[in-house]
Amino acid sequence: MLSRVVLSAAATAAPCLRNAAFLGPGVLQATRIFHTGQPRLAPLPPLPEYGGKVRLGLIPEEFFQFLYPKTGVTGPYMLGTGLILYFLSKEIYVITPETFSTISIVGLLVYVIKKYGASIGEFIDNLNEQKIAQLEEVKQASIKQIQDAIELEKAQQALVQKRHYLFDVQRNNIAMALEVTYRERLHKVYKEVKNRLDYHISVQNMMHRKEQEHMINWVEKHVVQSISAQQEKETIAKCIADLQLLAKKAQAQPVM
Amino acid sequence: MTSVMPVKEKKLMDVKLGELPSWILMRNFTPKGIVGAFQRGYYRFYNKYINVKKGSIAGINMVPAAYVLFSYCLSYKELKHQRRHKFH
Repeated sequence: MLSRVVLSAAATAAPCLRNAAFLGPGVLQATRIFHTGQPRLAPLPPLPEYGGKVRLGLIPEEFFQFLYPKTGVTGPYMLGTGLILYFLSKEIYVITPETFSTISIVGLLVYVIKKYGASIGEFIDNLNEQKIAQLEEVKQASIKQIQDAIELEKAQQALVQKRHYLFDVQRNNIAMALEVTYRERLHKVYKEVKNRLDYHISVQNMMHRKEQEHMINWVEKHVVQSISAQQEKETIAKCIADLQLLAKKAQAQPVM
Repeated sequence: MTSVMPVKEKKLMDVKLGELPSWILMRNFTPKGIVGAFQRGYYRFYNKYINVKKGSIAGINMVPAAYVLFSYCLSYKELKHQRRHKFH
């Protein structure tokens, strides 16, 4: 990006470089092309199970197949026998004391291989399989790990969809708390106001009561004062006369 | 001798007997070519008989056999004196 800006700036500065500016980065990228062929050996083909077939432990099967069309099945064996006899008779192969040691050693080898070959092969195959099983375990463990991670990731992604429940609950809680506080304060205000009003009422009542008592006391006092001693005696005599009259009247009635 | 393909690219089994000298001469005799030929031969043998899951004794057997033959050929000159008959 920056190189293109630099090149265009250079092109505007020097008109002879204008053509080069248009070619610059694109040409470099166009001339080098990598990885055009088909990828061979990918994925890696598995090892063949058995090796090339071999007869008599020495001679590859292809030799026998090569001679089969012309000489049939016994061709290569006849060829072998003929060659051996030819070498012996012409003494191209010389019979020395070493020949007998060779024969004994080869005989011993053939016997040992024939008898224990299979079991040794199995033993080595077991070793191989143990190694492969170990590697396979590691591979499976790592695959399982990654799969567990994927599932965990998916579960957490699913949880994200359910976040709104959490937020709803929180919103509800906050709304309730606000409501409760509002009502508490309302109640408090009511109580305070009632308190003040009660105070005024009780003050009024008290004043009223005091005034009444005071008035009553004052009136009584003055009335008592206004009754002089003489008036009191006259009043008492009149009361007694009245009572006597009443007593006579009362006594007279039941007789009738 | 009319051949459809040029001689150079044919494999050895497809080369006719008359074309054999020209085919041999057309092979790559530079040091890189010779080393390449040895490498190819080695890996052909290795991948066919040794680099398999269940190799047989033949893969290991062919090497001593070839060595025996080779050393017999080398020491034939001294062994000639141990011949039992004079005329064959």
